[in-house]
Amino acid sequence: MLLIALLLVPVITAAAAYFARRRVVMEIANLVGFAAFFLLAVALAGKVLADGTVSLANGFFYADALSALMILLTAGVSLLCAAYAVGYLRADERTGVLDELDAEGDKAIARLRMYYTLTPLLVFSMLFVTVANNLGVMWAAVEATTLASVLLVTFYGRITSLEAAWKYAIIGGVGLSMALFGTVVAYYAAHQLAGSDALAGLNWSVLVQHAGQLDKQSMRLAFVLILLGYGAKAGLAPMHTWKPDVYSEAPVPSAAIMSTAMLNCALYALIRFYILTSRCLGPEFPGRLLLIFGMLSMGIAVPFVLVQKNYRRLLAYSTIDHSGIMVTALGIGSMMGSLGLMLHMTFHTVAKSLLFLCAGNVYQHFGTDVFAKIKGGVMKAMPLTGVVFLMALLAVVGMPPFSLFQSEFLIVRAAFVHGHVLVGVLFVLFGAGVFTGALMHVSGMILGPGGEVAAAPKQPWRNGSLVAMAVVLVVIGFWIPGPLLELIHRAAAVVSGYTS
Amino acid sequence: MRHLLDLQLGDRIITLMAALVLVLQIAMVAQRRIVAHIRIFAAQSALLAAIAATIAWFNHAPHVYIVAVLTLVVKVVLVPILFKRLVERIKISDEIEPIVNVPLSVVISGGLTLLGYVVAESFYRPDEATSPTGLGHNALAVAISLFLIGFFTMINRRKALSQVLALLSLENGLFLAAISLTYGMPLIVELGVFFDVLVAAMVLSILVYRIRETFESMDVSLLRRLRG
Repeated sequence: MLLIALLLVPVITAAAAYFARRRVVMEIANLVGFAAFFLLAVALAGKVLADGTVSLANGFFYADALSALMILLTAGVSLLCAAYAVGYLRADERTGVLDELDAEGDKAIARLRMYYTLTPLLVFSMLFVTVANNLGVMWAAVEATTLASVLLVTFYGRITSLEAAWKYAIIGGVGLSMALFGTVVAYYAAHQLAGSDALAGLNWSVLVQHAGQLDKQSMRLAFVLILLGYGAKAGLAPMHTWKPDVYSEAPVPSAAIMSTAMLNCALYALIRFYILTSRCLGPEFPGRLLLIFGMLSMGIAVPFVLVQKNYRRLLAYSTIDHSGIMVTALGIGSMMGSLGLMLHMTFHTVAKSLLFLCAGNVYQHFGTDVFAKIKGGVMKAMPLTGVVFLMALLAVVGMPPFSLFQSEFLIVRAAFVHGHVLVGVLFVLFGAGVFTGALMHVSGMILGPGGEVAAAPKQPWRNGSLVAMAVVLVVIGFWIPGPLLELIHRAAAVVSGYTS
Repeated sequence: MRHLLDLQLGDRIITLMAALVLVLQIAMVAQRRIVAHIRIFAAQSALLAAIAATIAWFNHAPHVYIVAVLTLVVKVVLVPILFKRLVERIKISDEIEPIVNVPLSVVISGGLTLLGYVVAESFYRPDEATSPTGLGHNALAVAISLFLIGFFTMINRRKALSQVLALLSLENGLFLAAISLTYGMPLIVELGVFFDVLVAAMVLSILVYRIRETFESMDVSLLRRLRG
């Protein structure tokens, strides 16, 4: 029941927004829809904690602690962004950005309809990724997230946004076709299982119980293809090049969703295959590959952050860095690494979405996303945004006492404990590089002297959502609610395979 | 009737058709006009539908018939119509300009086909009688070659629409791989994949249209403003 309701809510929201004629109706549809979605996600998490797993339709839909955590994070971010988007898009409408960049003569309301319809559809496909038991269906849902978000990237219709969308569609398309190939090969590896029938042949919950009997040679090839495919979607180096373009061209609330919830989805798909592969071949083979890609992604982010001129692209490189961190944690494996991964995913989702929203405030007020043109003064013009921006940035670069310090510390510790000394050392080095670069640029922008800038007007929707998320960020640094911590522990147990 | 159930005959028919699919893929590499490119894609997809139907017949797997029909509807009818209308709307019939010239491209495609056979060998286990690769062992090699050649074609093309066509022919390779390795994926997965192919074709053609409108060209090498 709960799963059906969860699946229906975004679809109804999208339909309501599509058929609405007035902006207010679309806004209300999105706000109400995502609020309901969030409550249902909390209820699902509660049910999973109580019952272990929830499944529906003969196991076609299947949610364990890992899925429930992903859904909870997705729901939280989408509710936050729905509230923020109201203020953000109204401001865009006021300044006439939506009208003047009109290629095909549609009015601003058509753009708004596109945004308010595609966002619930994007959330729906992300939900589908996490509840689909069949790995092939999961692939189709991941592809659907790409398709739903490509058009969001072209929202402003600028030349550069078309370029970003094209790069995203092509790299995403090629990447996901590799992932599909990997899925086909995995299906082949499972095909020879005794008693596997055509329908359940790709069901994860079935495969994971027979992982030891899967054809080893095929699983090896499947994992390589899957890693390249979903890795491109997660923005691992060297398939990361679409990320800075897309995150700096998409509307800010969409960029916030894509850099947190959608990244989680791509990693989720990778994690499901990692669990299968490590049970089939042992954790060394997938672990080594993941560590290589993780280190490469972390390393490649450093120079780009250090010389970055544009703060939204800087945030994108930081996301590449963090997807590298998470893949590294997955590669280290064990309960400690997996716990670090799950904690990091949660904390990163909170902090990075907050950062993008702050960047959106600055962008709308100053009308540029280049450091050199802002020259400081954010603190004077918009003190609230300035404070939250700096705080969230400190959190993201791993400054104690914020939460990401704890998860990164846990991951480094796991690296040393399990003998990956080189990984641990590089992790700290790259982390220091990103820390220096990001802090240097952003603190200059926020605290710098700056010129004469008008104070920002009241922004109730945008600042309200900012403050709400900032409170969450501060609180989880010191205290995680018991049930959430339990959910994170169980999700980590699913990843490391210490449960039944 | 008995010879119609003979697996060896089925294998030969499939091998023949897979070879034709490969020929069409190489023809696509050599083709310079975009409308012809679309026609070749439709013909290739029609052959894939025929392969699916043949496999369904010889292995008594009725759900593969549905896959064959879906291939006909989506890839032979809908997607080519969509692209032909797009070509008419943006009024282009100009030549595709490959980066590597045609003779060299064909030679490279030949090399990639060889590579496809080498990779496919690792899946071939003649000792396992139950293995579905008994039927269509060549088809898998062709599938991997299609994948690699499609990949190469994408890199080799500057025009947005021909990149999309290359991406779709790459997906045709995956389809062939799925069907020759395991008689196709479970039906629900195939449905999802077809839905995605259709939506992807629509989304990409919207993008191509807008790129054309904005740049007065489909040359994606002009898309180079975002850096660093």
